Amino acid sequence: MQLTIITDLNKCVGCKSCQVSCKEHNTSGAFGTVPDHDPYTDPDGMWWNRIVGMESGEYPNTNVLYLPKACMHCYDAPCVPVCPTGASYKREDNGVVLVDYDSCIGCQLCMWACPYGVREFDEQQGVVKKCTMCIDRIEDESLPEIERQPACVQSCPTHARTFGDLEDPDSEVAKLVAQRQGFTLLPELGARPAVHYLPRRQVPVILDESEVLRIMEERY
Amino acid sequence: MRPTGPLLLITVLQGVSGGLVLSVAALWWLMPADRWLLPMGLWGAFVIASVGGVASLFHMHKPKAGRFILRRLKTSWLSREALTTGIYVPVLAILVIVPHLLLVAPFWYGIGSVIASGLALIAMYVTAMLYATIPAMRSWHTPLTVVSMMWVGLVAGTALTEARIAIAIGGHPGGPLHLALLGGTVILAGIKWLQYRYFSEARQAIHASTGTGMPAAPYRLIDSGTTKLPYRTQTQVWPSLEPGRRAVLYMVMGLSLILVPFVLEVLPMGPRAIEWASAAGIMVCGAFIERWIFFADVTHSSKIWFGDELQRPSSVSSNRVSPDFARRLKQVGMHRHDGL
Repeated sequence: MQLTIITDLNKCVGCKSCQVSCKEHNTSGAFGTVPDHDPYTDPDGMWWNRIVGMESGEYPNTNVLYLPKACMHCYDAPCVPVCPTGASYKREDNGVVLVDYDSCIGCQLCMWACPYGVREFDEQQGVVKKCTMCIDRIEDESLPEIERQPACVQSCPTHARTFGDLEDPDSEVAKLVAQRQGFTLLPELGARPAVHYLPRRQVPVILDESEVLRIMEERY
Repeated sequence: MRPTGPLLLITVLQGVSGGLVLSVAALWWLMPADRWLLPMGLWGAFVIASVGGVASLFHMHKPKAGRFILRRLKTSWLSREALTTGIYVPVLAILVIVPHLLLVAPFWYGIGSVIASGLALIAMYVTAMLYATIPAMRSWHTPLTVVSMMWVGLVAGTALTEARIAIAIGGHPGGPLHLALLGGTVILAGIKWLQYRYFSEARQAIHASTGTGMPAAPYRLIDSGTTKLPYRTQTQVWPSLEPGRRAVLYMVMGLSLILVPFVLEVLPMGPRAIEWASAAGIMVCGAFIERWIFFADVTHSSKIWFGDELQRPSSVSSNRVSPDFARRLKQVGMHRHDGL
């Protein structure tokens, strides 16, 4: 099993609700692992999920692309083998890459090794932190089934993000990657990310009424 | 990335210590007249390596978890560095302290110098490999990193040995070690030139259009996702050095690490040893400057998503608008210099 998040770049409008909901979920509740010490004077602190905005093309043929960027939960995560204490590890049962804060020494070597720059250093605790794929939510059996997904996926207003098992050929994420030529970032660095993006298309997505009703029913 | 004091101290001082051990060991075996230098050299190497080792502890932000540091010897070069440096320094300590407590035979130093040299080389190699084996650090991911880091240490350590000989004899040391130092400094210049080029190429190869997986270039970063200089929580990147500042830094490094020491060692400056001591001191300072640049000027692959990417004009653009756009401008009665 390899849990992953697929982002459809056609649907992402750069609203940053995934970025905010990630921070909201991970600074609250029983875990609260994202430091948020001075949110009003230092809003540029730690974010596990950042939405990068890109402008493409040349005037007058320009376009804007939004790229949600969090941990890629790579198959061959370069951050794992470099960790001297074993604090960075990849779970065998679901493929999620996590950090054990108790054994992290804060050397930041994993931050150098991560090609995507998605690991962040918590100066207060002296440890490196990153997206956990909301492991506390997806393994919480007290939550209803629909809630057991990462906060960023659940909060996306355009349903641009999809969560599931990449290795299950019948899963929605596997089908999306196969049918829509899902791609990964910086494949030349050999990390084999699990997180994929669906490329943008020139033709806009056309939804019929039944599809809208289906989504509304599913969500609400 | 952000250069930090502990990183500079451990990498530079470990290399200088290794160079010192290797040079005094070479003298022991090749120049029997200079054997008196070995105990002193080992002491110097021990002190230097100890300072570096203690400094490295401050790189750990949670030393309590340091007890787990040897868990990943199989894959982590940092685990291996902790092990090899952790063996090297205590062995040096034994070599220099035992003769003060017990009567040792002459071969103590002979065998000891070989063991210490081997351990120094292994420790230097492992430390350099830590940096060279990170593919995301585009400027470091080359065997040149290993060669450069080890060579800087060897040359700086040898310069210290030569300075000590010059001070002892009050003049020009000469001999094969002197020739090796001069040759090593020339080779170092070549290595640093190659590394400068590699750093430049890595910097040029990383830009926004490589980070999106999209075919339609060009791309421009318009929002770096709430990142902000100086990237306090993302220490793998650092604000890019301005070209002018970079040029000055490389120039200072070239002068202090290579040119000035080389000139001081080559020119017949008379019988004074002050030039030799100065040459060694300047070279060690140059090694620190070299290492600062090594960290500060490195290009990480994630740099493409940060806001301070240098604006580079196209090298092939003719600065002409497309025919289609020119036609449209003409249709509305405007010219391209009308403030568009």
